[in-house]
Amino acid sequence: MTGWFDENLVSILNGFAIGSLLFILAVGLSIVFGMMDVLNLAHGAFFLTGSYLAVSFVAGGSWGGYVTALGIAALVGLLAGGALSGMTEPLARRPILDQALLTLGISLIVAEVLSIAYGNDVLSVPPPPGLTGSVSVAGNAYPVYRLMLIVVGLLLALVVWLVVEKTSVGALVRASVADRDMVSALGIDNRKVKFAVLGIGSMLATVAGVLAAPVYGARPGLDKTILILALVVVVIGGLGSVRGALIGALLIGQVESLGRALVPEIASFILFGTLALVLVVRPRGLFGSRKLAHG
Amino acid sequence: MPLPESFRPRLPGILTAGMLALALSACGGGSLGEKDTGDAGGDGGGTVRVGLVIPQAGVYTPLGVDMQNGWNLWLDQHDGKMGDYTVETVTADEGEGPDTGVPAIQRLLTEGDVDALVGIVNSATALGVAEQVTEAETPLLIANAGAGPITKDAGSPYVWRTSFTNAQIAAAMGEHLAEEGVGPVYVMAPDYAAGQEVVAGFIEAFEAGGGTVAGQALTPFGKTQDFQPFLSGAQASGAKAVFVFYAGGEAVSFVKQYADFGLKDTLPLYGSGFLTEGGVLAAQGEAAVGVQTALHYSTEIDNESNKEFVEAYREAYDALPTVYAVQAYDAANVLARALKESTDLTGKAITDALDGLGTIDDSPRGPWSFNGQTPEQTIYLREVTDEGGTLLNSVVTDLGVHAQP
Repeated sequence: MTGWFDENLVSILNGFAIGSLLFILAVGLSIVFGMMDVLNLAHGAFFLTGSYLAVSFVAGGSWGGYVTALGIAALVGLLAGGALSGMTEPLARRPILDQALLTLGISLIVAEVLSIAYGNDVLSVPPPPGLTGSVSVAGNAYPVYRLMLIVVGLLLALVVWLVVEKTSVGALVRASVADRDMVSALGIDNRKVKFAVLGIGSMLATVAGVLAAPVYGARPGLDKTILILALVVVVIGGLGSVRGALIGALLIGQVESLGRALVPEIASFILFGTLALVLVVRPRGLFGSRKLAHG
Repeated sequence: MPLPESFRPRLPGILTAGMLALALSACGGGSLGEKDTGDAGGDGGGTVRVGLVIPQAGVYTPLGVDMQNGWNLWLDQHDGKMGDYTVETVTADEGEGPDTGVPAIQRLLTEGDVDALVGIVNSATALGVAEQVTEAETPLLIANAGAGPITKDAGSPYVWRTSFTNAQIAAAMGEHLAEEGVGPVYVMAPDYAAGQEVVAGFIEAFEAGGGTVAGQALTPFGKTQDFQPFLSGAQASGAKAVFVFYAGGEAVSFVKQYADFGLKDTLPLYGSGFLTEGGVLAAQGEAAVGVQTALHYSTEIDNESNKEFVEAYREAYDALPTVYAVQAYDAANVLARALKESTDLTGKAITDALDGLGTIDDSPRGPWSFNGQTPEQTIYLREVTDEGGTLLNSVVTDLGVHAQP
C-alpha cells in the first residue's frame, strides 16, 4: 500500500495543484450562475487575459513583475466583470440563453483582441525567482511552483468560504442564491449585488490566469479548454455552492491527474465519464440546491 | 417581471447548451481574400491563377504566416513569374479544420477560377477535398498535411505533396534509435490520426531494427494541459528513452513539463521535428536544449541553396525560416518547373509535367524527388542547441533518404 502511495504521490499532489487552480476559476462562475442566472461564457477569456498580462509583466521573471501582474489582472477582472454586469442588465428579463450568447460573443471578441495584440504563437512565462526549480517528492521531482499553487488555492478557498459563510455580505450572496426575489422584496437592489458578484467572480478568473501562466503558458484556444473544465466543475459541484466548487475542483483535479495516470487507456473519456456519472447519481450536482430540484 | 421559480434554468440543459454554443464558436467563417502578386498584363504567356489555401485564423495561424512568407519569397525572387506565366495568387483561409477548409477550397474551385491549388495544413481538410479537386481536374500541391493516405489509399492523380508523411519521419527516427541501441523506448503522441500514424510508423521501424517498446500512451488531443500523469507512466515503464510527437501548444507544455518533472536528466527525449520547430522553440526555452528530433529540414543544413534561402528569408521577414516556409517555397518551385514543361494550363498537362520533374536539386532541404506524388527526401537528425541565446536545431547527422513507408 505504501508502495502504491509512493508511486502515485506525484500524481496525487499534481491533482491538488490542478484542483486549486480550477477552484479559483470555477467558484466565480458557479456563484454568478447560481445567484444571478448569468452563465458567463466569457469566464475563460478573462482567464486568458490574466495569462497574457502575466506574459507582459513577468517577462523578467521577477517578484515585482509577478505581483504587478496579479494586481493589474485583479483590477482588469473587476472592471471587466462590472462592465459585463452592465451589459447583461438589459437582457435580465430575457431567457438565459440570450445572456449566454452575449457573454459568448464577448469572449470571442476578447480572444480575437488578445490574438491581435500578442500574436498567435505559444508564449511561456517563467515562475518568479525561488519557485523555478523542483523538489524531490518520494524520489520523484516535483516543481516548486505547483506546490505554491496548492497553498494559494487552499488559502483562497478558505477566504472565499469565510466571506460567504461568516459575513453579512456573504449572507446576502447566499440569500440571493436561495431566493433572489425575496431578497429583492426586502429592499436590496439586485443589480448592485450582481455587479459586485460578477466583478469579484471575474477578478478570480483573471487572477487564476496569472497564477496558471507559469504552468500552462498563454496561447490562443486556452480560454475554451479552461472554460470547459470550469463548466464541468460547476456541474459536478452544483450551482452557487462554494463547498461544491471546492469539492468539484479537487475531484476533477484528481480525475485529470491520478485518474489519467492509473488508467491512461481511457484518458480521453475519464473526465466526461465522471461528469456523466455524477449527473446520473445527483442530477443537480454534488452540492446543488435542493430547491432547484423541485423548481 | 422576475422569472417565476419554474422558469429558472435546469442545470444540465443550460450547461449543455452553453458547451454546444462554445463548440459552434470554434467554427469560424472562411473568407476568400484576393491578393495580386506580380504585374498584370506582363509580356506574353498570360497569367496563371493559383489558390493559396492557408490558415489565417485559429491555432494553425503561425504555420499559415510561414507558408505565405515562403510562397511570397519565391515569387519575389522570380519577379512573380512561373515560366512565361505571371502568377496571380488568390489567398483563402483554411481555418482550423475541414469545416472551414473544405468550403474555402470549394469556393476557389467554383468561383476563384484557379489553375492550381497550393497549401493546406490540416490532413482532414486535405482528405476532404481530394475528391473535389479530382473532379475539377485542378492540381493540388499540399504544402504541409502529413497523413499517409493522402498520397496512398486516398490518392488521386491531381493531389501532390511537397511536405512529408507522418510515418516517414517517425520511421527514420525508429531505425536510427534501433541502430544506436538506446534500450527500451516509451512512445507518446496525441490521440488523433497524425499521432497514431507517427506511433505506428515509429514502432514498426524501431522493432524491425531490433528495438523494444517499453510502453506507449496516446494523450487526449487538444485536451491535455498536463502531461504529468503520462510522464509518471513513462518513468514507471523502465524505458531508457522517450520518443514523442507533439506540435504547437502541446509541444511547449510537453517539453517544459518533461524538464520540470525531472525526466530530462534521466531519460533522453527524442521526437518528430515539429516538437521543436518554429515559434514553439522560443517558448520552450532552456527546457528544449538537448532534445533530438528528426525532420526533413533545419535552418542549419549545410548547402548553398539553404544558405541563400535562410539569408533571403531573414532579410525579408526578420525571422528564421521554418519547415512550413520551406514546404511552400518548394511548392512554388516545383509548380514553376512544371509550368515550364507543361504544354498548357489544364490539370492533366500540369500533373504530367510534375510527374516528369525528376530531382529537385535547388531546394533548401537538399535534393529530393517525387515518389508516389510525395517527396522522397533526406531526413536529418537535429539537436536543439543554445547558440548565444538563440535556440537552433543543429544538424547532428543525416538519417538517409526515405520515401513514404
